[in-house]
Amino acid sequence: MIFLLVFHTLVFSYWVFHIQSLVDAALGMRNVGERDSASGIDWVIQGVRGLSLMRLRRPLMALFSMALLCSVGFSAASVQARSLVLAIQGEPETGFDPIMGWGRYGHPLFQSTLLRFDPQMNLQGDLATSWVLSDDRLVWRITLRDDAVFSDGTPLTAEDVVFTFNTARDADGLADVKALKQARVVNDHTVELVLNKPRITFLNELVSLGIVPKATYGQGYARHPVGSGPFQMVEWREGAQLVVKPNPYWYGQSIPFERVTFVFGGEQTGLTLARTGQAQMVAVPPAQADQPPEGMHLLSVKSVDNRGIAFPVVPAEGQTTVSGAPIGNRVTADRAIRVAVNQGLDRDALVQLALNGHGRPALGPVDGLPWNNPQAHQVSYDPDAARKTLNAAGWVDQDGDGIRERDGVKARFKLYYAAADSTRQALALGAAQQLALIGIQVEPVGASWNEIKHYMHQSPVVMGWGALSAGEMRNLYSGATAGQGYFNTGFYQNAEVDQHMAQAEAAASYEDSLAQWQAAQWDGHTGFGVKGDAPWAWMVNLQHTYWVSDCLETGPLQIHPHGHGFPITHDLPSWRWTCEP
Amino acid sequence: MNSWWGRLMMKRLCRLVWLLPLTAVLLFTLVSLAPIDPVQAYVGARMSMIGPEQQAAIEAAWGLDQPGWIRFFHWLAHLVQGDLGDSISYNAPVLTVLVERFPASLALMGCSFLAAFVVGSGLGVLAAACQGRWPDRLIRGWAMVISVSPGFWIALLFISIFAVQLAWLPSCCALPPGVTQDEAHWWQYGRHLVLPVLTLSIYGTGPLILHVRQRLIGFLDGPSARHLRLHGMSSTRLALGPGSRHALGSAVTVHLASIGELFGGSVLAETIFAWPGLGQATVKAATGADAPLLLGIALVTVVVVLLGNLLADILAAWVDPRLRIMPQEETLPRLKRLPWLKASARLKTASRLKVEPKS
Amino acid sequence: MKRVMVSIVSIVTRSDDTGKSYRLALFMAIVVTLMIWGGGALPDTMMAVNPAQRSLAPSWQHWLGTDLLGRDMASRTLAGLAQSLKVGLLAAALSTLLAMVMGMMAALNRSLDRLVSSLTDMMLGMPHFVLLIMVAYAFGGGTVGVTWAVALTHWPRLARLLRHEAKTLVKSDYVQVSRSLGRSNLWLARHHLMPHLMPQWIAGFVVIFPHAILHEAGLSFIGLGIEPHLPSIGVMLANSLNAMLAGFWWVVLAPGLGLMLVAFGFERLGERLRRQALPPDRGSSGVSPGQVA
Repeated sequence: MIFLLVFHTLVFSYWVFHIQSLVDAALGMRNVGERDSASGIDWVIQGVRGLSLMRLRRPLMALFSMALLCSVGFSAASVQARSLVLAIQGEPETGFDPIMGWGRYGHPLFQSTLLRFDPQMNLQGDLATSWVLSDDRLVWRITLRDDAVFSDGTPLTAEDVVFTFNTARDADGLADVKALKQARVVNDHTVELVLNKPRITFLNELVSLGIVPKATYGQGYARHPVGSGPFQMVEWREGAQLVVKPNPYWYGQSIPFERVTFVFGGEQTGLTLARTGQAQMVAVPPAQADQPPEGMHLLSVKSVDNRGIAFPVVPAEGQTTVSGAPIGNRVTADRAIRVAVNQGLDRDALVQLALNGHGRPALGPVDGLPWNNPQAHQVSYDPDAARKTLNAAGWVDQDGDGIRERDGVKARFKLYYAAADSTRQALALGAAQQLALIGIQVEPVGASWNEIKHYMHQSPVVMGWGALSAGEMRNLYSGATAGQGYFNTGFYQNAEVDQHMAQAEAAASYEDSLAQWQAAQWDGHTGFGVKGDAPWAWMVNLQHTYWVSDCLETGPLQIHPHGHGFPITHDLPSWRWTCEP
Repeated sequence: MNSWWGRLMMKRLCRLVWLLPLTAVLLFTLVSLAPIDPVQAYVGARMSMIGPEQQAAIEAAWGLDQPGWIRFFHWLAHLVQGDLGDSISYNAPVLTVLVERFPASLALMGCSFLAAFVVGSGLGVLAAACQGRWPDRLIRGWAMVISVSPGFWIALLFISIFAVQLAWLPSCCALPPGVTQDEAHWWQYGRHLVLPVLTLSIYGTGPLILHVRQRLIGFLDGPSARHLRLHGMSSTRLALGPGSRHALGSAVTVHLASIGELFGGSVLAETIFAWPGLGQATVKAATGADAPLLLGIALVTVVVVLLGNLLADILAAWVDPRLRIMPQEETLPRLKRLPWLKASARLKTASRLKVEPKS
Repeated sequence: MKRVMVSIVSIVTRSDDTGKSYRLALFMAIVVTLMIWGGGALPDTMMAVNPAQRSLAPSWQHWLGTDLLGRDMASRTLAGLAQSLKVGLLAAALSTLLAMVMGMMAALNRSLDRLVSSLTDMMLGMPHFVLLIMVAYAFGGGTVGVTWAVALTHWPRLARLLRHEAKTLVKSDYVQVSRSLGRSNLWLARHHLMPHLMPQWIAGFVVIFPHAILHEAGLSFIGLGIEPHLPSIGVMLANSLNAMLAGFWWVVLAPGLGLMLVAFGFERLGERLRRQALPPDRGSSGVSPGQVA
């Protein structure tokens, strides 16, 4: 068998050597366009003809070519000085068009945005030098810096900003700018964005929507982006890698890298590159993060990439959604059950079990973000408190089967999770074990999202969210989004919470809105936190794990949103190389 | 159109006329049956930031709010104009995606195709020449083993041996990181091709080895071989000369007919080796609910397989003139000719292709 | 009962080719039963995540080592094979059933015959794996998807063969007599065709079976097959990539080898049965895998 393997390799390497012209023609079709496609067929025919008698002379040739291949292969040092290779996955298959959704997470690389968050989540101007909201909270007046230039050399003006926002509003991509009524030019460096209704979370669009040039934006833009950001594209081989270099026209600080390469492909691609020393930063799955190779260290980044249990909070009374999905659950409709679950979950154990320790307990949906209200989610692992809560509410185990009941209703429910996700599976199984101790029987059910869609208004589901915008929180807890898509699956509704969130949206500034967002979680007598209605039991926040070269200094990192990988590029322009080149 | 290959082409074209539309309907039915919500697959993790209004707009932009049969006719109308629709997961016309990704796949599949043919038929000839002795047994065992081992598993073993343990060859991608196409040397392409091609070609050699061996043994036991041997031709020369010619003609046919399998193998190989070709796009389309792209890829592969079969027939007839449809048969009355011709042609082909019984 | 036992024993202990086939068949049947029964009955503790025992090399305690999450590879492989065998059995059964129905329909009704043969042609003209992906996609993936995908793509060759056989049968005198006596097509199929097609049908089943499990593994590998929370060879191999790059070769070796051995056993059995029950293929009798499946 080994003999055959070697034989196969030899003969094959001979072929590799000789069909180079075909490979060239095929892979470099753009450059070598003059080669006609007949060459492939020629090779087949010649191969057939040459087969019969020439075979014996070939092994020698093959041996020679094999040796040559290996020797040239080893002398190749592919990484040049001060060029950076990142294998953090997350290839944007749809291209680099902000209007279709590029740049929502991490840095848009090629484009710049009006505003940005610094690592501590404070708002800063990027293209904008001032941003003022009108008294009726409907018009943003934004002044632009005057030194912004696109990478093709043309200056960025108010026209481009207005064009970008209006086009994004009408586009059917992954940038939801539907809240915008109209963007208009005031003068060369001032624009006004008019909203449909007061909405402070529109700031999120100012932070994430990269500005495109009006003059050259068109069909092929997504694959050949031009922007005023820190980088410009050198080459994007789809499915393989993206190569960028600093944009000489960028208005920011100088970037210490001649070239930055993003290698795509699966997790295993990154692991290989890390082990062979070819990549300086690699996104690794938590299960394997603990043994970084020589010259690299583990970087574990905090995130709000959270997982929790969404409870149906209305009792089952036979109602269904338009699509016929049943609504309501008579067990989880009782607040006592939901609070007891919150108290009975050992979140530290779940972090160990499901995340290999690379995570932190989640108490609320926005742990660590400026609009979080820690008071609202004060809960710790305390089975005794959970039992007390249940006893007080009348849930007692009378028949001695280990499951509590009240009025003939057993304290049990199914817990759905996406079967394709092993982390969620571990969380569901772990939660079931822990809750059995306090007398609640949980039956974990792995299912596809299509099945979950049908049962999610009736049974608790393991869900994950985590965006860097309070808009997400509004979507999850607002009575207006009850039953809409995956947002508020439990039909949670609290008029006071809605009131606080509406006030937050109508705030005069980002800073002013924070207090109202916090009040929605707990305002002293109600809220959606555990102290209040507890429609969710949050379990864990993931930590995103990377292997980083010891020579690479990334500085302070922003807390990560949902999505492992690309968010780490948020401050890429300020990264430094600390070793000699 | 009087030549033999012209007639063959005509026959195949007629087949295409009913086969392609039927295939199109079947494929479209399959993708429309899928219970996967494409909007959800597209939006993915950003679900929380995409409001219901925007989701409805996306749905309308893709025409998903219309019933299936209307979508089918839309698609068909565009297809006739050479437009395969727009890929959802790549946000580009399907045709662009296919053209963009085809070269990488062609390089991979082309090399594997040739390598498999060379190695497969070579081993087949070797096995037949040493019939019954240890090389024959070894090769037959090898062919049996690889025909039942999962191709992707072989790929993993190769990576384990050559990329991880020995560290001779790269285990991923088409080029080293940080190198653009303009800067790349041909040997860099070559090095990165080795493992994927090795995997893909090994998978295709199994049936070929057995086929060539069988044919060659049939020839060597036949009267013509006996005749040549009596005239003093050595067994080796017999096997390599006229024997090989006898066996390889049909080997080409068998091998070309396996193009479909090759594409299937490339889907798995490209996934493992992070090869930026059509196979990778297929997986992305299937897991990302990208129905237009999936349809496009399926249609293109159907056409490629049909072309492969056509090429197989032409090559087979070119190598072996007896397989050509002879012009004199053309003179028979048209109505009666067709069924008769088919039957007789089949009979003749059968008797000629038949392995002579071992004496 | 005693006579049945005696005849079974006498067949199994025969020293000729038939006896060998039966012995192999009996052996494979025992293997399958043991695996499905054993794989399903494995204690959960063997498969539980155990951070203290991550990536251990094969030892006396763990014959085939442990994976990245500390699960015993031997148990996982066994459970994965059981899962694969279940899906394979179901899919192959559905597939051969479909082939049988198609073949008989074609033989008994001329217009259905045209439909069946053009359907067969179409299915054979399409690249196999692409079709598998499309059908799996149509059913939304998962265990259900992969079962249907394999079932709906493996019937054409067997159907073509059974159609041919059934057509010969229909032409025979006794069928013609029955037909002229006014027997319905259903009756003819049940009493005349089915019994005669049984051997081919069984041989077809055994030949299709290894293909079914190999293709199931392939689909699961790319994420369109069995859900990752169930043990299955394809999923295990897909997850083993990372471990293998870290040098843990045993994680890859065991599942693949297990799958290969099972497939190999059935391939040999199918080859034997095919030689006995199915007419020899013209030209290329040595090429086993693609012929019927």
